[in-house]
Amino acid sequence: MAEVRMTNINKSFGAVEVIPDLSLTIPDGSFSVLVGPSGCGKSTLLRMIAGLEDVSAGEIHIAGEDVTGAKPSDRGIAMVFQSYALYPHMSVRQNIGFGLKLAKTPKDEINRRVGEAAEILQLGPLLDRKPRQLSGGQRQRVAIGRSIVRKPKVFLFDEPLSNLDAALRTQMRVELAELHAKLNATMIYVTHDQVEAMTMADQIVIMKDGIIQQVGRPMELYNAPQNPFVAGFIGSPRMNLIEGRIAEARKSKILGIRPEHIDVSPDAGEWEGRLRYVEHLGSDTVAYVDSEAAGRITVRLPGEVAISTGDAVFLTPRANNIHLFRADGTVERA
Amino acid sequence: MSRMFTWADAARIIVLLAVSFLILMPIAAAVLGGFKTNGELRVSPFGLPEVWHLQFYGEILGGRRFWVYLGNSFFISIMTVGLTLVLGSMCAFAFAQTRFFGSRFLFGYLLLGLMFPVAAAIMPLFLTVRDLGLLDTAWGVILPQVAFGLAFSIMFFRTFFKEMPSELFDAARVDGCSYIRFYFTFTLPLSTPILATIAVFVFVQSWNNYLLPLIMLNDREGYTWTLGAMDFRGEYAAEWNRTLAFVSATLAPAVVFFLAAQKYIVSGLTGGAVKG
Ligand SMILES: Nc1ncnc2c1ncn2[C@@H]1O[C@H](COP(=O)(O)OP(=O)(O)OP(=O)(O)O)[C@@H](O)[C@H]1O
Ligand SMILES: [Mg+2]
Repeated sequence: MAEVRMTNINKSFGAVEVIPDLSLTIPDGSFSVLVGPSGCGKSTLLRMIAGLEDVSAGEIHIAGEDVTGAKPSDRGIAMVFQSYALYPHMSVRQNIGFGLKLAKTPKDEINRRVGEAAEILQLGPLLDRKPRQLSGGQRQRVAIGRSIVRKPKVFLFDEPLSNLDAALRTQMRVELAELHAKLNATMIYVTHDQVEAMTMADQIVIMKDGIIQQVGRPMELYNAPQNPFVAGFIGSPRMNLIEGRIAEARKSKILGIRPEHIDVSPDAGEWEGRLRYVEHLGSDTVAYVDSEAAGRITVRLPGEVAISTGDAVFLTPRANNIHLFRADGTVERA
Repeated sequence: MSRMFTWADAARIIVLLAVSFLILMPIAAAVLGGFKTNGELRVSPFGLPEVWHLQFYGEILGGRRFWVYLGNSFFISIMTVGLTLVLGSMCAFAFAQTRFFGSRFLFGYLLLGLMFPVAAAIMPLFLTVRDLGLLDTAWGVILPQVAFGLAFSIMFFRTFFKEMPSELFDAARVDGCSYIRFYFTFTLPLSTPILATIAVFVFVQSWNNYLLPLIMLNDREGYTWTLGAMDFRGEYAAEWNRTLAFVSATLAPAVVFFLAAQKYIVSGLTGGAVKG
């Protein structure tokens, strides 16, 4: 059992309160992704779990044990940093084995485990190189290798893929998912890329200004966002959030409708508008429509659609995909 | 593709030659002066000697005194460098990597030392060293030199240490690395450029220091070369040729030290630690 439980965590840097009051449970063996806009406190939360940052108040339990005041190395965690933070003057082998060496592990045991990690991550031929002789993707693998040799109960990743190019990022995403399946450890992963969140997570935690907005499985968040912030954060292109008359007509403050849940017709529909801009992506067509009633609406149509800028169109939201956000914070869905 | 030789290049070369000349001229004059007689030195201070007199250098290098002075200077300089590097880098590490109550105040207080002229402190310094019973010992020179060198070396070390990526320290802590271990395994090996720079600076200052040894050392056996150079000044006449030969001979160790340290004054050792 390596469940991570945070109870009533508060964190302030001097007078600045970054996390007011946060309680969260990361289930054993899950791949949990923390997402949220820049500066919302994701890294701070992760660093508190790691023990690199003290909590101002509250408790952290890992695998049932209170680790609130424990040293990072005594918490059974490993962390992969955004900048990799490899030890520049040590070889890949020494980088991976450093933690074991500090823990006074016997030499042949270190060699064996470094070998194992190198095999899992295909680092074998690189073991005697220095970090500066590696590519970005290889450095990232070494950083992951350094975390897996110590057999931690919990892995912490702080935006580990954000320095990689798109192709490599996709590949590493798959590798991380496989690694999770193989090691069966609890992983907490910070990102602000919602595609990473949707594709990798068992559980997504959405944060804003140090406050958890919603916790749930990816499709739960997609289908049933609890507030407009979550609605706008998950899904690409973003959900249309319409205020004003249209929302009021349905007795709500904000009406949300995803771009893929709007039907377009040239001659009849609920809202009339004019095409401002069209993006042809091949698999999809994304259209931006300016309408009198609803303002600017994004529409996503499957496949290649023969429409062009300037066309007059009619939009109809599918009734059972409408999210109504009330002023009192409740949500209504068809 | 070869580039045209321009006037700008010509001007640059002329300036460089002029500067080199300004630096090399006095050195050459000193080295050559050691081969001349006193009379010739007075008539042609800068020209080549008419007759190369080797005996002045011979006397100095053959004598015991010179080596004693040189040894004393070397001991004092090396100890000053060693202590300054160890104490300075450790203090700077604490200032750069840890947060503790009063650290800013303490650092500001240290920096005040930068503005304090040694000459103004000479009297109290003498009294303190006397009270400690260190007069006429090498430590009477070493310790004050270290004290006065500490402020600026801590400042430089701290700036350099602060530039080290903090995630490196975080990663090491997660791996179970203590502060003191981090200092030895990471900070020192990754700081060779600044260590070498400060070492050269402190060494040269100590090597050429005249005032402190003059005040603290009375026994000839403990003299540094700067004091020893005065041996050739009689009450009525100065033997300039011997003095010049002596000074030229003392240049060598400083130059050797510089060349040895220069090898480490290369940056880029942290390459590969972070994104790139
Ligand atoms: N050492 C610190 N001292 C003061 N304020 C800090 C410190 N570290 C972080 N903060 C503040 O805490 C807030 C949260 O920072 P944090 O790094 O956790 O954000 P984040 O969610 O990881 O953002 P990003 O996606 O940009 O990495 C920010 O407003 C930041 O300015
Ligand atoms: Mg962050």
